[in-house]
Amino acid sequence: MTSRRFPLSGLLLVAPALAMVAAMFVFPFVLSVVSAFSSPAGAPTLANFAKAFELYSGDIAFTLLIVGLSTVLIALASIAIAGTLTLSETPWLVTALAWLYRWPLFIPFIVAAQCMRTFLAKNGLMNNSFVTLGVLDPDSTQSFLDWRGIVITFAWKQTPFVALLLAGAMASLDRATIEAARNLGASRLRSLIEIVLPQVAPTLLVGLVLSFVTMLSVLSVPLMVAGSQPTMMTVDMAFRINSYSDYPVANALGVISYLFTALAAWVYLRHSLGQERGQP
Amino acid sequence: MRRLAGTAAKAAAIALFAFALIGPLANLVLWSVAERWYTPYKLPVTYGTRYWEVVFRPTGDAMSALSTSVAIACLVVVVALAVSVPAGYALARLRLPARTLIMIAFLLPQAFPSIAIYINVARVFYGLGLTGTIAGVVLVHAAHALVYSVWITSAAFAAVDRDFELAARSIGATPWHAFRTVTLPLAAPGIMASAIFVFLESLDEFTGTFFVGVPQVSTLPLLLYNASMGGNYQIASITALILLVPSVLFMLVIERFLRADVLAKVGR
Amino acid sequence: MRKLLTTAAILPALWLTPAGAQTINVATAGDQNMVDYVKDFLGPMFEKANPGAKVVAVGTGPGDGGSQKIYEKLSAQMKAGADKWDFDVIVVHQKMAGQMVGEKLLADYTKKIATGAMATRDTSKNALGANVSGFVIPMFHSQTALAYNPAMVKDVPNSYAELVEWTKKNPKKFGYNGIKGGMSGVAFVTGWVYAFGGDAAKLMSGPYDGATKAAWDKSLADLKEFNRNVVITPGNAGTLDMLNRGEITMGPVWVDMFYTWMADGKLPPTMKLKLVAPGMPGQPMYYAIPAKAANGSLAEKFVALATSPEVQAEGIVKKFNWYPGIDAKHLEGKLDPAAWKKLFTDISPDDLAKKGQPFPLGQYFNEILESYEKKVAN
Repeated sequence: MTSRRFPLSGLLLVAPALAMVAAMFVFPFVLSVVSAFSSPAGAPTLANFAKAFELYSGDIAFTLLIVGLSTVLIALASIAIAGTLTLSETPWLVTALAWLYRWPLFIPFIVAAQCMRTFLAKNGLMNNSFVTLGVLDPDSTQSFLDWRGIVITFAWKQTPFVALLLAGAMASLDRATIEAARNLGASRLRSLIEIVLPQVAPTLLVGLVLSFVTMLSVLSVPLMVAGSQPTMMTVDMAFRINSYSDYPVANALGVISYLFTALAAWVYLRHSLGQERGQP
Repeated sequence: MRRLAGTAAKAAAIALFAFALIGPLANLVLWSVAERWYTPYKLPVTYGTRYWEVVFRPTGDAMSALSTSVAIACLVVVVALAVSVPAGYALARLRLPARTLIMIAFLLPQAFPSIAIYINVARVFYGLGLTGTIAGVVLVHAAHALVYSVWITSAAFAAVDRDFELAARSIGATPWHAFRTVTLPLAAPGIMASAIFVFLESLDEFTGTFFVGVPQVSTLPLLLYNASMGGNYQIASITALILLVPSVLFMLVIERFLRADVLAKVGR
Repeated sequence: MRKLLTTAAILPALWLTPAGAQTINVATAGDQNMVDYVKDFLGPMFEKANPGAKVVAVGTGPGDGGSQKIYEKLSAQMKAGADKWDFDVIVVHQKMAGQMVGEKLLADYTKKIATGAMATRDTSKNALGANVSGFVIPMFHSQTALAYNPAMVKDVPNSYAELVEWTKKNPKKFGYNGIKGGMSGVAFVTGWVYAFGGDAAKLMSGPYDGATKAAWDKSLADLKEFNRNVVITPGNAGTLDMLNRGEITMGPVWVDMFYTWMADGKLPPTMKLKLVAPGMPGQPMYYAIPAKAANGSLAEKFVALATSPEVQAEGIVKKFNWYPGIDAKHLEGKLDPAAWKKLFTDISPDDLAKKGQPFPLGQYFNEILESYEKKVAN
């Protein structure tokens, strides 16, 4: 039973929150799009995009590459973790894994960036540990403080989130399907891929799309972990604003990042709509 | 024999995994107690707590940045809850036209790369005189955290059994009275959870503060960033450890506040 | 709970209220060492000499971006018609100072204080082509040079051309920060264009000619090629840090940051500097007072203290290893010879005179930066 008498009161209650979204998001969003397409005189133009490509085409491609690669890595890692948690038959492994994997979950990106900045350096803790263990020799250590460091940081920070979502989804599955497969002789890996994964695919997709959008927006990690060329679009946007007050080009880069997000959303919608159509 | 090899493989895998996860964090701790550390030494040359004293001195930047960060986060929680408790209640209990659209509206700030939004917000704030002020930063943080506060609050209210409310109403309580004495207390754990999410989001927020708050507002993440870019890794690491404390605390107690039935209703 | 909320609401109100009448807000661009200079050295000294006064220092970040932030704030307040602006003293780079004078954002104050007459170098009147006479006093003069580790670098290059050869033989051992994140990289790129891009004198003193940049194409293409053999670092401190940790063995640095880091134990004491031919840029940073500063007269006192011979000798030269902002002759007697000589161990006064270059004219400067982004970084 819902209150039928005052539908207006419902809207009134939601109004302040909606107003906040309108003022602090929708309005600046519209501003950014308008600014990206406007010339200094106010006329519509594509010149800002032309300039953005002239200066930053490498970085634009680079951003897509990094975020895409990170998303793939996150998918693989979180499937592995969630799969192990659900299907493993070694209790101590499950306990250890469950305790370990959540650590990076609530660590902010900026702290993760600081960790990685010293961990991944040529003489950082990671390389030094490998050298001490005899796995690497000192002259061949590499600094990972470039695009690889950004990918590693993103994957490190976001995997626990997606793994948490996935593990929750897998835990709520009907175990009968898994057991049926195992009884028929399927290996655990096969049951994971052919039975479990298709059923939790929607959750996985949600987690990945959320991660994709989040990573597109991060400024601290590329600023702190990588050198300045090539770098992600967010750094270029900050640079244009801070050094030149060049809003049009910065906003043009912003619109390009919106397009990337739209791409991810389209992938998600196609998959989930396809799912619905497939159901009777 | 095969079992032994299998166990060894699993142990090695877990050890590697642990190194990958905890290593960077351990690195942070190491840097916070390193007084002198340069090549070719693999571990600090001199250990010491000198930098802790530098960070925690009363006139230091860290203490004022910490209090600024906490003050901002508290204000953000107040603002966010003030708009989302009514909104969450309305979304859970009352019949709203275009309910799904409204829910999606709150998702928007998290669904688009926010840096372009912050840039333009800062530009508008310049004209309004809100850059470099606490109020400006609070507004930015609150808007970004709305998805957490509205969605989780709404789920918290939805999880409250309507029978309790109806029982109160049937013995003569007004809707507001029923809300205040029955619904709100029952939804309180979920609301607390959303408050904590919002608090953490605000405490850890960097990009928005970078554009709207600089230079007068100095929060812990900004301090971390400046220290790190200035090559001052000890101070950066100590600041990072300070930032970690609330996050780790939250992770350890989250089960208490986010009950399964509330979690199940998020996004519904 | 309510009490907690009330307290939480009151605390930040303290921040929101405007500062007291005796507070001066100093905004400084540049690295953390600039902020520390005001916070730990100048601020306490000023507060002691003027009881009741309080100095609040904020840093806006390294490079021209930091100065840009200060400019934006002042410009916004001017457009909004505010009659008391947020900052009382600002420390900015040359390019922005020129722009600020052009837009009438600064106060004409140097005649009002005694130390105004002590800075007579060209830099106190001319900021990359803009006339700033009367509006600024140089805080210091700084210089970039190549820092290197003599244990690992046996054949130090003496010129940019030799450096190119050196990087081919020692790939990934040289590092600089591009043009983002710090001016040492910007200085390196500028020095490159001076060396290989044609008429350096025209770039430094004008006249401005829009056609000049076409001549830079070959040198920029060479720089792109050069970049493949080097490491791009995150910033001024990034270069120094990588030098410290042995990840690179040579890189452009600010001489003052170099000596300060060494004194702090963040650089091995064996490292050395080299000023390569035909030269590398240096720059002053300027003390300026915004036109509508809230505490103008107190601000003037602050700048007078900061540019006094004693403070310049003790603070600028001895503690922070900069070359003084006011003319060096005023420091005679205030500084022990050892401290003075330290600045010239690796770079002789002769070297400095011959190979220390100014940054180019404002418009050329912007064009160099943009061409770098278009043709080298992309």
